[in-house]
Amino acid sequence: MIKLSQQRTREVLDIHGWSGILLGLLLYAVICTGTVAVFSDEISDWSSPLAGEAVDSFPPGFNSVFQRLYQDVDPRWREDIDAFVAHGGRIYLRFEGELEQPEAEDGHHEHYGVEYQIDGNTLDVLKRTEGLSEELAAAREAGALAEFFVDLHVRLHLPNPWGLFLTGVLGLGMMVAALTGFVVHRHLIREAFTIRRNKEALLRARDAHVIAGTWSLPFAFVLAFTGSFFSFASSVGLPAMAMVVFAGDQERAVAEVFNRHEAYDASPAPLANIDTLFADAAERGGAEAIFVSMQFAGRKDAVARVFTRAEAGHLSARAFDYAGASGEFIGENPVLVGKAPSAGNAVASLMTPLHFGHFAGWVSKAVWFGLGFAAAYVTLTGMLLWTLRRREQPAWQRMSRLVHWMGYGLPLAMAMTAHAFFWARASALGVELVQWAMFWTTAVVAAVLVASGGTDRARRWMIRLCGLSLLLLPLSRWLCGGMPWPSALAHGQMIIVSLDVALLVAGVLCLRPMLSREVEPGVAAEAAA
Amino acid sequence: MHMSVRPWARGVLAGPLSFICSWLLMAGAALYLPGGAAGVDNLVFPILLFPLVWSCLFLYALLDERLARAYLVIFALCGLHALLLVRHLSVTP
Repeated sequence: MIKLSQQRTREVLDIHGWSGILLGLLLYAVICTGTVAVFSDEISDWSSPLAGEAVDSFPPGFNSVFQRLYQDVDPRWREDIDAFVAHGGRIYLRFEGELEQPEAEDGHHEHYGVEYQIDGNTLDVLKRTEGLSEELAAAREAGALAEFFVDLHVRLHLPNPWGLFLTGVLGLGMMVAALTGFVVHRHLIREAFTIRRNKEALLRARDAHVIAGTWSLPFAFVLAFTGSFFSFASSVGLPAMAMVVFAGDQERAVAEVFNRHEAYDASPAPLANIDTLFADAAERGGAEAIFVSMQFAGRKDAVARVFTRAEAGHLSARAFDYAGASGEFIGENPVLVGKAPSAGNAVASLMTPLHFGHFAGWVSKAVWFGLGFAAAYVTLTGMLLWTLRRREQPAWQRMSRLVHWMGYGLPLAMAMTAHAFFWARASALGVELVQWAMFWTTAVVAAVLVASGGTDRARRWMIRLCGLSLLLLPLSRWLCGGMPWPSALAHGQMIIVSLDVALLVAGVLCLRPMLSREVEPGVAAEAAA
Repeated sequence: MHMSVRPWARGVLAGPLSFICSWLLMAGAALYLPGGAAGVDNLVFPILLFPLVWSCLFLYALLDERLARAYLVIFALCGLHALLLVRHLSVTP
């Protein structure tokens, strides 16, 4: 318990409320999408699985495809080569180089290249894309649904670095709310177990907010801290370090921090057998190789860095460097920063598992999802309570409508976006564009509902529509050519059945008050009554 | 909603001013922190600790009974690190 004077408690409570209400709407969007993004890999595997067995690492025999495509690509785009496994068993193989732009004044060159999508089971090339880096990324339609949620979470779909900067500030806002919540709720232990069932609705709603907030307080702080770190590291931190230590040279800062190797011999040399590198890295790392990045390919000084999954019982992945021409093992590289193991790398490596919650498979992801859900609940109920206490004033009535629109309209829009993904792919339409159109159309419909029918009625309708949308998602997936359950079970693609069942359960939970004719008024309606 | 100036003065110190101070601390700390075994700790730790430093300054600005003292401490930290940075940038070619 922190002892504060009554006056100070009131001031801190003001800051707690104002920080929440000013940033709360956007923060709620970041938390909601982040909660879903915990399962982004699973969402991609569920929404775009390839026929056959589930593939989650480089299959044996990949080297022959790798070497063949390497020969096919224009030598100008062989400067950097990356390959990784993602999106329902696809292998992405990307060749990139710098585009020659004599007019580029600041020395910055656009990256251009070719990307292949390869079936992890058959090793057939599914798709070839050529263009700028952004065009290559946009062509990965199989992961477009998860990417939509991740991009909304990471940068609210704003251009870099502004989107990252904004979400970083939102993370700091979340820390403000968490810290001030800690300070103003003087009897944390008692309040963590207190709900006054026989008291008025407003008090019960306030108790529910405090209970959820108290239990998720440490988690909210960890998420806000790690999220701010991720947002600010590249948008604020790295430019600051480049300015101070590297005289403004960001490329040199990146090379130093991420240990890019120096070129020393440009004479031509063949590529090593990449299957051998993967096998060696898997043996050293205790888990399969999932990502490889190669510099100076086709030269004697080529270097391949192979990343493996986190070994069972470990928090972080590992990275191993090999000579790209001979395949000789050079050494283990810190997975994140520097050229040798260091305290900085050890601490920085903790940020990823702490933020993404993927350190113990689906169990830790489920816990992170649950805690994220609680954080979203706390944010929403906090805003509802704040506006409710001021409901006599017209300005706060408008704010209340805005909170209802965002609070219940966003989950509905996210569910409808998933339908748009399936139908756009089945109709061979531009997935990204259709997802956007559906997201904003749903947002407009939600706004009309809130503006025309009162907040409580709109809330009930948005929850019902969200439930219906979730219930119908497995059907949309299947009607649009998705893998049926018997086939998924036969090929061990359990994620398809699991996510379908989770969506059906979530849909029923949303519709339950309507199906059982329960009366479940919202905080606003209860308090008004 | 009736609020006096004092909570807002405290809020401005805890929010934007502490944010600026944290940025200066982050940039300045790279000059005096040790590089560690890999020579990157002086770059990594300031970036890592930036949100934490800001939240500590935020909490301090919120809880110090004497607002003037809180302003003094945060401005002193800003001034010290700004001086370090100016000195370093003016001698670096």
